[in-house]
Amino acid sequence: MRGDRAVRALGVAALAGMIATVWLGLFVTPNAVGYADGTVRLLYIHPPLAWVMFIAYGMATLSSLLYLWPRTRHARFDRLAGASAEVGVVFTGLTLVSGSIWGRTTWGVYWAWDPLLTTTALLFVLYLGYLAMRNVPGDPDTVARRSAIAGLVAFLDVPIVFFAVSWWSLHQGPTIDLATRHSYVHGSMAWTLLLGFVSFTLTYVWLMVHRYRLAALRARESDEGLESALADRWAEALQ
Amino acid sequence: MSGYIEVGYVIVLGSLATYATSLVGRERAARRRLPSTPADGDAAAAVRPDAAPSAGELP
Repeated sequence: MRGDRAVRALGVAALAGMIATVWLGLFVTPNAVGYADGTVRLLYIHPPLAWVMFIAYGMATLSSLLYLWPRTRHARFDRLAGASAEVGVVFTGLTLVSGSIWGRTTWGVYWAWDPLLTTTALLFVLYLGYLAMRNVPGDPDTVARRSAIAGLVAFLDVPIVFFAVSWWSLHQGPTIDLATRHSYVHGSMAWTLLLGFVSFTLTYVWLMVHRYRLAALRARESDEGLESALADRWAEALQ
Repeated sequence: MSGYIEVGYVIVLGSLATYATSLVGRERAARRRLPSTPADGDAAAAVRPDAAPSAGELP
């Protein structure tokens, strides 16, 4: 089917982008001045992971808003929010791990209670709680509404994490300053970083498609289970 | 290069690959349980007129 082919092509593009990013990042790009032992090479995966984390939580929040808005309330937005939050949690975990490894090589420690790191860890825990809340049994609409509100509350931490890098942090400033359009990396480093952003974004979209499909299939399975139970009761009652 | 960088790449890419594989596997398993699943999998919200009666209609 055309949709399946498009998803497969997306997966192949994401995989090819990832392979190219790893190859360029580890073997082609130069080491930057001031970084020992090539530790700057984490640049090509750590910021793209954080970028996708923001996209994922943005998508989860937008979907939650659409679910809460009476005119656009539909189960698909609830599923979209849940799917995006789960993918976001995976990327947040990996952002924390890759950041810790980078911290160990530059600061000498895996973890520091720095505002950026702490608020990112809080974000991870908030969305883990959100995912746990989605699994609390109950009326589907009530669970979806409660989850959408919890998702909006969790999102309050996202702008704090986003701006903490500039406001106050041990962490270096942004590699690419969007306000002044100034980039601190150039040449092959800049292109590899850009490729990293594109590849991780494609990976996010691919993961989202599959996670959303899984949620839709499970919802259908649950509906059919209910229908089958109702049919059984009808049969019993009519005997 | 220090071993930290390689370990970082292996953890990140390995975790993403594991998560992606688990998603595809769970999706296939769910499809097998529902043999007549449409490709987009988004049939849960569809209202089927020939479906079994709802809870409110039960005798």
